Amino acid sequence: MVYKETMTSKQRVMNALSRKPVDRTPIANPTNVATVELMDMVDAPFPQACQDPELAARLAATGYTELGFDSITPYFSIIQESSALGCEMQWEEKDNWPTVRMYNQIWKSADDVKVPTDFLEHRDVKAITESIRILKQEYGDEVAIIGKTMGPWTLAYHVFGVEQFLLGTVDNPEETMKAMDKLKEISILFGEAQIEAGADALTFPDHATGDLVSGEYYKRFLQDLHSEMVDELPVPLILHICGRTIDRMPYIAQTGMASFHFDSKNDPQEAMDAVDDGIGLVGNINNPETLYARGPDEVRQEVYKCLEAGVQMIAPECAIPLATKIENLIEIPRAVKDWTAERKG
Amino acid sequence: MSLTAYSGLRPANVISKYGRCLELVPVDKNFHDISVGLYLKGNICTVWTFSTLDGVESRVEKIRNQLVVLGGMSPVKGTINQAQFDCGEVHIRPLRFLMSQAVGKSADYAPATELMSIKDTKSDLTIHVTPSNRDGARVYSISVSGEAKNPSMRLRMIVAGFSKYGDMDKLGDNEVAFACRGSHDELMRLLMPYSRNISSVETMMAAEDMRGQMNTSTLGFSQT
Repeated sequence: MVYKETMTSKQRVMNALSRKPVDRTPIANPTNVATVELMDMVDAPFPQACQDPELAARLAATGYTELGFDSITPYFSIIQESSALGCEMQWEEKDNWPTVRMYNQIWKSADDVKVPTDFLEHRDVKAITESIRILKQEYGDEVAIIGKTMGPWTLAYHVFGVEQFLLGTVDNPEETMKAMDKLKEISILFGEAQIEAGADALTFPDHATGDLVSGEYYKRFLQDLHSEMVDELPVPLILHICGRTIDRMPYIAQTGMASFHFDSKNDPQEAMDAVDDGIGLVGNINNPETLYARGPDEVRQEVYKCLEAGVQMIAPECAIPLATKIENLIEIPRAVKDWTAERKG
Repeated sequence: MSLTAYSGLRPANVISKYGRCLELVPVDKNFHDISVGLYLKGNICTVWTFSTLDGVESRVEKIRNQLVVLGGMSPVKGTINQAQFDCGEVHIRPLRFLMSQAVGKSADYAPATELMSIKDTKSDLTIHVTPSNRDGARVYSISVSGEAKNPSMRLRMIVAGFSKYGDMDKLGDNEVAFACRGSHDELMRLLMPYSRNISSVETMMAAEDMRGQMNTSTLGFSQT
């Protein structure tokens, strides 16, 4: 019997997010898969593609139309909200990520946290909400549209500065909780706006990364808050945290989120064991070494390793390097389809 | 359905037609910051961009022509974007440097064609490359002149640089040749600035690799 796909990309992704059966493992991009070549192809270069909804939609769509992924994600970076909050931006050029200038923090304490009344009207917020609207109109129910809203921990890095914020978690944890409580309103506000615009799911990056904080920190400051987000945002949520995160995966698995987007620093089987079926996993093809510097053979090996472990959705581990070669990205869906055909065909 | 009017070759077709991308230059500062790739199929190299800006074909042809001028490649007849080495080999490592130079240098840049000599960056020495033909092979002898503390040590490091960045075989203490044993004087000239300073080149390449990467240390928070 020849293996045949029986679901749309959207059905595949949404089923995987709700742990229902799929015809094959979906290929998702909870962060993004924009490259400089794709920017040229659709004339939507950085940084303009982070500021203009039509350009964002055009560039994001290539992940589906050209690379064969099952989802489209038009929020490429991690700075849109922070720009709207007034952080000083470094927009960079086409081949580099826009960033927040950390030396110039806009707030010092939780009392300073205030959401501008016109937050949703800011250019860099509308770039995302309106791009989702365009994509929804263009692709309807054919493909899953994944939005993205930053969690309060990530927003805190931006508005308070990484060092100051992390020192504050030691010196004054109550103040940290107060700040988290106020910042989460921004996550909810932006998430709701994207859902209203048509997002089928939301990535929720909250960079309590393995390199910066421990698993116990995650449990103490974020686990309950992330559970609360599940109640507040009525679409499947994909939590994204970079780095080695095995120590916090059991906590993450109890949040009620639909999926955890995990880094290549975690072995797929070890990660599956750590979450113990409490949450789906999406990931974790290595970016800097495999997708950026190696070739399709090595990409295929990593895809197979994830599939063998039972990872529910295959994806690059994080936002891909902007100069990633397209052949390596196209190899991800090819490998998934071949693996499926080998077992189902 | 499509949000764009792009009607050129699609990525999957580019790979099928032109092979794998050997080197991708993310930004061409000489032409509207487009990205330009050097694709390789068999021993044919193809300069390719997905950009459809006005004048892009002419720019691609200029880059291809620079592969010829700077690298000693031959244009593939009837094409404006393809070239190959006459020896039939590919010489992958030097090709990457060549592509970077072909895009980065202005289109009218031409290297000096006289003696192959260059000032050392780590001493007051001058490095010389002397080609000769021996037993059917093109052999490149590396030598240094001038004053330095330990010239023989510097010479060894420079020869190692040619081996590393040229994918070259070491035939003697100070002699190297390309794997094909053919003449690639242009490539030798191109490799001289790289081979004299491995550590700087490695640092430069690592910095280039880091650009456009998002990871824990560059998590969207500018350090500047």
